[in-house]
Amino acid sequence: MPTNLLLSISVKYWQDFQDTLAKVMDANIYIFDVNGGSFSRFSRPVELCQEVNKGGKICNEKCIRFYKSALGSLEDKGILTCPYGIKLYAYRLGTYAQKIGFLIITPTRIRTQVGGEEENTFVTKACSIYQTINEVLKAILEKNLLGLRRLELNSIYEISRLLTSTVELDKVLDLITNSLVIIYKAELVFVGLREGDKIRVAQAKGEYGHLLIGREWPMVQPLIEQVFSKVEPSSLSIEELMTLPGLTGLEVAPGNEIMVYPLWTALGAVGLLGIVLPLSMDDDGSRNLQIYANFAAVALANAKLIRRLEIEAETEFLTGFFNKRALRNRLVEELERITRYGTPLSVIFLDIDDFKTYNDTFGHMAGDIVLQKTAEIIRNSIRLVDIASRYGGEEFVIILPGTEKEGAVAVAERIRKAIETYPFPHRQVTVSLGVASAKRNDSVDSLLARADQACYQAKRQGKNRFCLDPS
Amino acid sequence: MSEPIENQIERYETLLREMWTASAKYLGMFSVKLLVERVVWELSLEYREIELLEYDQDGISCARIAASLKKNPDLPVDDMFAKFTTRYLKILARLLGHEKTEKIAKKLNEEFGRIPFDSKGE
Repeated sequence: MPTNLLLSISVKYWQDFQDTLAKVMDANIYIFDVNGGSFSRFSRPVELCQEVNKGGKICNEKCIRFYKSALGSLEDKGILTCPYGIKLYAYRLGTYAQKIGFLIITPTRIRTQVGGEEENTFVTKACSIYQTINEVLKAILEKNLLGLRRLELNSIYEISRLLTSTVELDKVLDLITNSLVIIYKAELVFVGLREGDKIRVAQAKGEYGHLLIGREWPMVQPLIEQVFSKVEPSSLSIEELMTLPGLTGLEVAPGNEIMVYPLWTALGAVGLLGIVLPLSMDDDGSRNLQIYANFAAVALANAKLIRRLEIEAETEFLTGFFNKRALRNRLVEELERITRYGTPLSVIFLDIDDFKTYNDTFGHMAGDIVLQKTAEIIRNSIRLVDIASRYGGEEFVIILPGTEKEGAVAVAERIRKAIETYPFPHRQVTVSLGVASAKRNDSVDSLLARADQACYQAKRQGKNRFCLDPS
Repeated sequence: MSEPIENQIERYETLLREMWTASAKYLGMFSVKLLVERVVWELSLEYREIELLEYDQDGISCARIAASLKKNPDLPVDDMFAKFTTRYLKILARLLGHEKTEKIAKKLNEEFGRIPFDSKGE
């Protein structure tokens, strides 16, 4: 929103209104913007002005300089004399809070000698013109602001509906940041999520948004502590904002307002919302933004909770691997991929040898350590794209997308050797592995059954080895 | 001979539809609708007729603007739509970054060459 909303009025519509008023009042009217630049044209031709300025707008250099200087020092109103001797009745337009521009009124007929009574009559007329124009402009300002408020409220309504029904965290983050940039033409919007003892910037939009995404700020960082020490937003200077680590290169234009909202819910701090606005908010705007921040906090808390539940539902607690259900879901996706693209896929079934005896002899705590260490060795032996899971008690399944049987055999042997040579507590631990490559018509069950069968073969052949599915 | 006004409006409607579709791909329907609403509001302070632009989940239509032009043929349609596009792209650049926005603008400019696209300034 520009400081001077007058500039958002159609000059054409305004000029029609101004000319009609000037005609009715038999006076010449023109308007300057807050910086002393011409806004509207002369409403009535003034002979001398026509000669000097060659048209309806001020273009004579001497006049331009005069108006910039004279209007810059005008308090509320004054009588000025232009460089060519024309008496001008000047008024400041707008309110104390919202300055709009300047109004100049002159008689249509320039006379050097004007009687006192005639002058008084014109001053009264000028005052009436000023009051009329100022009231119209204030009404337009109000209308413009109401339009913005309506936009804000409509958006808050729509967003509150969507935020409370959308549970995908990425979508919620996009909704929050996009909407704020759109409604307020914000230069920058960022959302930081609380992750334990730090805030991590999860989404940011605006010219410098890319600088912020992924930044981490400890909860004990003084500025973060200050933000979370209260419920209300903190208004920051650029210098204060720059005390946060990793913001080198960030620029904020002078006069912009930087607000950081702590996002609280009944469960505690969810994160923070930062916004850099081109202008200061009035009370209504601040209240609307606070309502928005409250909705954002609830939506983010819901989405975070859902994501955590989803992760927990798929994760096996002891090893951090996928559980059996998640593994089967991933395998369905991978099998669809080989049907569609014909890429290879292999699976390794791994079983810890004599694990029951180990557990019975050294206790379940020791058994858990073996499971955890085995998982760690598997994790270190596979690529990021591979998918490892704990399938059952001492059984693990590893999906190797894009891998032929030769590659899968190499991975199986690498894991076997790493476990055989690892100094587990109490005694050596070994594993047996079965390797199977997917066929075009394989189902999850058929592929796993073949890998399991190969593993069983490895056990029968003496354990601590791998076997390849022969089919 | 100048282009008939109906054809002009039809061309602008196609342009706005292309912009709508290209932005929705990145932003989603909700944000695009909000963006159009924002630009319409801002521009309506200068051109009241832009409030006649219809848009919802199904897309965007200039039918009511075309109808109003029959009563007010002096409306500077080119200026109005040029400002709409420029303001739209300026906000879009903050959401998607200049690179993606320029790509959208370039594609639109190839098809609708008369619109001055510049996402960095008006």
